[in-house]
Amino acid sequence: MKKRISVVLMFAFLLALVSVSFAEAAAFDQVLQRWTKSRKIVDPDGANLEIRATYYSAEFIEALIQKEAQANLWTQQEADDYKFNFLGALRLQEMVPIQVEFINNGPTMYLGPFDIMIKLRIGNKQYKPVDYDKRFNFRFQGKKEGLVYFPRYDEKTGKDLLKGVKNVRLEISPNISPLTEGSDTVFMWDIANDNPEKLYQGKTAARFETDRLLKRLEKLRKDKADQEKQLQGINDEIKTIQARLDELAKQQ
Amino acid sequence: MKKFLAVLAVAALVAFAAPAFAANPFMDVPAGHWAYDAVAQLAADGVVSGYPDGAFKGAQPATRYEVASVVARALATIDMEKASKQDVEMLKKLVMEFKDELDALGVKVDKIDKRVAVLEDGVGGWKIRGQFRFDAKFADSDNDVYQYNGTGNKNEFSKERFRLYLTKTIDENTSFYAQYRTGGDSSGRMGRAWGDINDGGRWSHLYVDTKLPYDVAFRVGRFAVDFEDDYGFYIDNDAVFGDFRVDGFRFKKDWGMMSATAVVGRNDNASDTIDPLDVMTYALDLHFQPSEKFFGGVTGYWMQEDGNGTVGDLDVNTYAAYAAFSFTPNIALKGMYYFQDLGDDIPQANSEDSPNAWKAILDIKQDALKFTSLWVEYSEQDNTFWDSLLDRYSIAGSQADYVAQNFTRNGGTSKWIFAKAEQKWNDKFSTFLRYANIDFDTANLDDATEFGGGIGYQYTPAIYFELCYDQVDHGDSRTGNNGGFTDTESVIRFRTDVNF
Repeated sequence: MKKRISVVLMFAFLLALVSVSFAEAAAFDQVLQRWTKSRKIVDPDGANLEIRATYYSAEFIEALIQKEAQANLWTQQEADDYKFNFLGALRLQEMVPIQVEFINNGPTMYLGPFDIMIKLRIGNKQYKPVDYDKRFNFRFQGKKEGLVYFPRYDEKTGKDLLKGVKNVRLEISPNISPLTEGSDTVFMWDIANDNPEKLYQGKTAARFETDRLLKRLEKLRKDKADQEKQLQGINDEIKTIQARLDELAKQQ
Repeated sequence: MKKFLAVLAVAALVAFAAPAFAANPFMDVPAGHWAYDAVAQLAADGVVSGYPDGAFKGAQPATRYEVASVVARALATIDMEKASKQDVEMLKKLVMEFKDELDALGVKVDKIDKRVAVLEDGVGGWKIRGQFRFDAKFADSDNDVYQYNGTGNKNEFSKERFRLYLTKTIDENTSFYAQYRTGGDSSGRMGRAWGDINDGGRWSHLYVDTKLPYDVAFRVGRFAVDFEDDYGFYIDNDAVFGDFRVDGFRFKKDWGMMSATAVVGRNDNASDTIDPLDVMTYALDLHFQPSEKFFGGVTGYWMQEDGNGTVGDLDVNTYAAYAAFSFTPNIALKGMYYFQDLGDDIPQANSEDSPNAWKAILDIKQDALKFTSLWVEYSEQDNTFWDSLLDRYSIAGSQADYVAQNFTRNGGTSKWIFAKAEQKWNDKFSTFLRYANIDFDTANLDDATEFGGGIGYQYTPAIYFELCYDQVDHGDSRTGNNGGFTDTESVIRFRTDVNF
C-alpha cells in the first residue's frame, strides 16, 4: 500500500512539474508545439527513426511569423513582407500544406514515389498529395524535410474539403522503413477552429488583392493587346482588300 | 527550331527547380519578357551563353547542335533531387531526340538513363537493407553468475545481431516485406535462439500488404501482433502482453475516428506453456480516436489449443482496455488494463484462473521539458497472468540481466516501477538514465532493482556507438523459478550499430 501511495505522489509531483514548466514555456513555443506531432521509433538501444509533421494552421503561421519577427527585430513592414511571401509559398488558398521531417538513423529509406507513401484522411476519405518536395523520392539516411501539399478543394465539385470537418489525419505507410515493423504512423490534428482566412486580413489581404488584381490586369491587357492585334490584322486585311478592289475597279 | 523553347523551359525547370533571381546578361532580352527569368537563370548557371556579340537572339531559329548543346549543359547541372518525374521524363525525351548530336558532342547519353532510373525504380525495384550490431560486454558479479552475457562468461564479444530486410513495392497498393534475423531475438518458433549469430537464423517477418474492396487493408504471411507498441504503450524492450508473431491474415478497416483490426493466425511464438504450432490465434482490436487529445480502445486475444486433445483445456482468452490523454502533443498520460480467462489445465490456473494486470504511464517528450524526456511507468500484475513478458525492462531483452529473473508464478501480485530519462544534447550526442524495480509479493523474496546509464554517439546516420553501465541487485533471498538469483550483477557494454 505504501508503494502505491508513493507512486501516486510521484505521478502527482511529475504532473505538477510538467504543468509549471509548460506554463512557463514561451507562448509561441506552445503554439508551435501544439501543431507539431512526432513519433520516434527506436529499435532497442540502436537504430531509430523520428517522424515529425507540422500542420500549417492559421494559428501556427501567425505564431511562426511573430517569432521570426521578434528574433530578427523586424519592423511591421518587414513582417508584413515576410508574411506575404510566406503565404504565397504555402499556397494556402488552394492547398493544405504539411511540413514533414524524417530523422533516419536507421536502414536506408526509399520513399519514392512519395505520393503513395503518405495520405491525408479527411472524414472517411483519403487524399493523395497534389504536390510535394521531390527530394523525398530519393533514398537517404539522416535528415530529410519538406512540404507536402494536399488538396483543399474537391477536384470535381470545387467544394471546400475542410468545411465542417473536426479533424484531419496524416497517414504514413509502414513501408517507409523496416523499423516500423509493419505499423502505421498516424498524426491527428483538431482543425475545427482553424480559419486560414484570418491570415488574409489587413495589409496582407490588401497586398494579396493587389497582387491578384495586378495579375488580372496583366491578363486583361494581354487579352486586349491580342484582340487589338487581331483587330489590327483584320483592319489591315480590310485595307488590303479595299486597296485591291480599288485597283481592280480602276482596271475595269 | 520550335523545340528550342521547350528545351529552355525544361532546362529551367529541371536544373533549377528553386530559381534564384539573377541578372540577365543579354541586352536583347528585355526585363518584361516572359522568358527573362528563365534565360537569366540559365545564363547564370552556364547552360546558355549567347552569341559573341552579347546577344541572346531568342527569336532566331536554332540549329540542332545548338539545342543539343543546351541539353548537354542542362544535364551537367541538373538537380535530380528537385526535378519532378515529369520534368525528368521530358528531358529524357529530349536526350533521345538529340542523341546523335549529343554523341557527337561527347555526352554519354547512358548517364541520363541511370539518373532517371532512380525515380523509375521506386515502384517495382527490390530493396535490400540491413542492420548489424556488435557488442563488447565486460560483466561483474558478486557470485560469479553472469546473466548479462549469453555465454555465461565474464566478458563477451558478440556479433550480437544481423538483420536483413528485403522489400518491394509491387504497385501503389501492394508491397512485400521480409526480415531475416540471426543472432539475438531470432523468432518464429518455440525455443528462440539467443546470442551470437552462429545460433542460426530465420525469416521472422514475411508478408504482403494490399488493399481489398471497401478500402480494407489486408496482410498475409508472417507478421507481428503488438498493439501495445502500435499505440505507444512501451519503450525499450517489451510489452506486458503481445509482441508475438503469427502466420496468418490481418484485416484493417479505417473509418476516420474509428478503426478495427482483426487477426486470424497460427504458429505464434507467444506461448510459454503451449506448443505454438498447436494454437489458433484470433485477435480483434477496436480503436477510437475522436480528437487529437484522446484515444482509447479494446482488444481481445483468443488462443485456442487444437493440436492434442489429451492435454486438456489450454485455451487462454485475454482482454484489454486502454486509453491515453495528451495534455499537449508532448505530454501524455496513458493506461492499460488486462484480464484473462485461463483454461482449467493451464498450470497457474490452479491458484488463479482469471488474473489481471494493468499499467499507467506518464510520457513526456524532450520538447516539453527541453533538457530531457521522461517515461515513468507503474504496473501491477497478478503473478499468474499468463505469458506476461518478464524481461520487459531489460537493456537487451533476455540477453541481459533483468529485475524479474526471480519471478514466480504464484498467487501474489507483483508491482513494477520503471523510469527512463533520455537527453538528446545535439544531433550527435545523447545520454540516458534508467531505473526499474519489482516487488514480487512473494514470501522470502526480496525486491530487485536495476539502474543504469549510458552515452550514445551518432557518428553518422548509419553508425552509432554506445557506452553504457547497467546493474541489477537481486537482493538476498533465494526463491525463484530459475534456481534463485542473489546479490548484484553489472555490465559495461560498448555497442556498435551499423545500419545500411
